[in-house]
Amino acid sequence: MNRSRGPRDMDPEDMDPEDIDSPEAGAGCLELCSLHVRLGGRAILAGIDLVVAPHEFVALVGPSGCGKTTLLGTVAGFVRPEHGEVRYGGRAVVGAGPERAMVFQDDAVFPWMRVRTNVAYGLKVRGVPRHERARLVDEALDLVGLRSSAGLWPRQLSGGMRKRVDIARALAVDPPVLLMDEPYGALDMMTKQRLQTEFEEIFERSRMTVLFVTHDLEEAVYLSDRVVVLAPRPGRVAETLEIPLPRPRPAEVKLTPEFQDLRRRLGRLVEAAEAAADVRGAA
Amino acid sequence: MTAPTRPVAATTSVATTVTAPPSALTGTAPAAPAAPATTTARAGASRPAGAGPGSRRRSWLRPSARRLARRALLRALVPTLLVAAWCAASYGGLVREIYLPTPTAMWSAFVDMRDALPGALVTSVGMTLTGYGLGLALGVGMGLAFAYSQLLRDLLGGVLDFIRPTPVFALIPLFLLWFGIGRGPQIALIAMGTSVVLSVTTLDAVRNVSPTHIRAAATLGATRRTIYRTVVLPSIFPHLLGAVRFSAAAAWGLDVAAELIGSQNGLGYLMMTRQQYIDTAGVLVVVVIYGLLATVLDRVIVLVERPLTAWTTREQPSATETAFRAG
Ligand SMILES: Nc1ncnc2c1ncn2[C@@H]1O[C@H](COP(=O)(O)OP(=O)(O)OP(=O)(O)O)[C@@H](O)[C@H]1O
Ligand SMILES: [Mg+2]
Repeated sequence: MNRSRGPRDMDPEDMDPEDIDSPEAGAGCLELCSLHVRLGGRAILAGIDLVVAPHEFVALVGPSGCGKTTLLGTVAGFVRPEHGEVRYGGRAVVGAGPERAMVFQDDAVFPWMRVRTNVAYGLKVRGVPRHERARLVDEALDLVGLRSSAGLWPRQLSGGMRKRVDIARALAVDPPVLLMDEPYGALDMMTKQRLQTEFEEIFERSRMTVLFVTHDLEEAVYLSDRVVVLAPRPGRVAETLEIPLPRPRPAEVKLTPEFQDLRRRLGRLVEAAEAAADVRGAA
Repeated sequence: MTAPTRPVAATTSVATTVTAPPSALTGTAPAAPAAPATTTARAGASRPAGAGPGSRRRSWLRPSARRLARRALLRALVPTLLVAAWCAASYGGLVREIYLPTPTAMWSAFVDMRDALPGALVTSVGMTLTGYGLGLALGVGMGLAFAYSQLLRDLLGGVLDFIRPTPVFALIPLFLLWFGIGRGPQIALIAMGTSVVLSVTTLDAVRNVSPTHIRAAATLGATRRTIYRTVVLPSIFPHLLGAVRFSAAAAWGLDVAAELIGSQNGLGYLMMTRQQYIDTAGVLVVVVIYGLLATVLDRVIVLVERPLTAWTTREQPSATETAFRAG
């Protein structure tokens, strides 16, 4: 059982050691192989094939209810596919693993911990020493602009602030794969844009592979290397749009004609996917 | 809500506000917040015509102090009436002594029992607390273990589903038969009776822990055991409080029952001997003592629990109150 896996204690019952990689294998590929998911007797995802290269940023867009959250849940290991599998670094994913952190669409901040303790949670369970932990937590809090709220209880925060705690908590552990489910949905324009720019920088500095669900097409184009458009009922990949904008991408990129062009093309693809789905739904 | 408590009304009609009789103020007064009251005072002062001696009269007590005094009065009202009714009924001879003894009779019964009381008290309190402590550990432990292990649920779930709804009091004669009279069986009985509610509530509370919280912990690298310690335990805490308090009260009841039926000492036993002498006053004294003990234990539980659930909003009951008042 003790296969030299760092300071963390792993529960053999819960996590298959096979699917937990040492940090150096974190540079692995994330592969979704012909993923079929059925929930409550309905096909939610039907044959998703997607390969996310190491250190690639993929945005997922699509109409509400098309299965974006389900897709992330399957990658995270909460949802078991009917057919197909999720592979990471060449190995099939079974259950949740610390190499795949997730920012949830709904409120996942622990209400019984103060902001600072929440952000420190992942580091603590990974056995990061106290002073190191304090430094990383401060960094993460600064990133989301919550340093001054570190001592508050979550109930004393606004919804957007809680979301930022959630983001900081996931970023603090610097995961090889980061799954984000509409993380900026609840934020105001100003905060959202600031966090987008900062997240873009973080992404470049890190080795992270990111799968990012959003409704905001501009955000998708700005942040990602590739946008995957999903079609609903059942969820499947309708289109893929490469975003060849060079990095680093300062916020001004959004004003360039290239950006605007990509944004318009993405808009048309999403509309086409929805229209096709409506036709299928009506038929 | 009437005009006197409204700052707007106060500034426009200072005279009405100020000269309203104190009784009317206390009668209606859904606790005027401190701020509006000072606004009233200032508005009164700034208006030369309205600033009569009456405006002074109103501030003989700070509003907050007045509110507290009013609440204290209200709280004392019903107990006072009850005691008065008791005195009237018993001294006045409306009810016979063996049904309702006079306060004097109770006092002398208390004095009569003063030799037996300390020992009985120590016995009963000791057994109840021991049994309750065991029941608490057993109940919460069982609930957690059941929630954790499917194997355990499969293995013991059926048996416990049968045992759980069985009234514990019905087991007293059996316990006596099997284990005889003594501390052990009595403590076991209390432990069993209290653990039942606690295990069911714990299992239920664990089932209601937010899946998002568990998933978040898992993606951050927590193992199943760590998730149990850091997510499940803290989330169920506030939901257990009701059962913890309820079973504390039940523990006293079980103690009484066990002692009434099969013990040779303790408060319940003392109560039974008093009853055999048709000494109603003595019985009542023991009842009052049980009541006091149960109240004290309940207060202690609440005090111990408070810092553990500081993160919930429950610490500010005024939030709901103000919401109602605003409406
Ligand atoms: N546990 C479940 N049981 C049955 N059906 C489910 C379950 N979870 C999700 N679904 C269904 O799966 C579909 C996709 O849900 P999902 O949450 O993945 O959508 P989404 O794309 O994330 O939508 P949104 O953009 O609104 O968040 C929905 O139609 C939903 O009704
Ligand atoms: Mg969703």
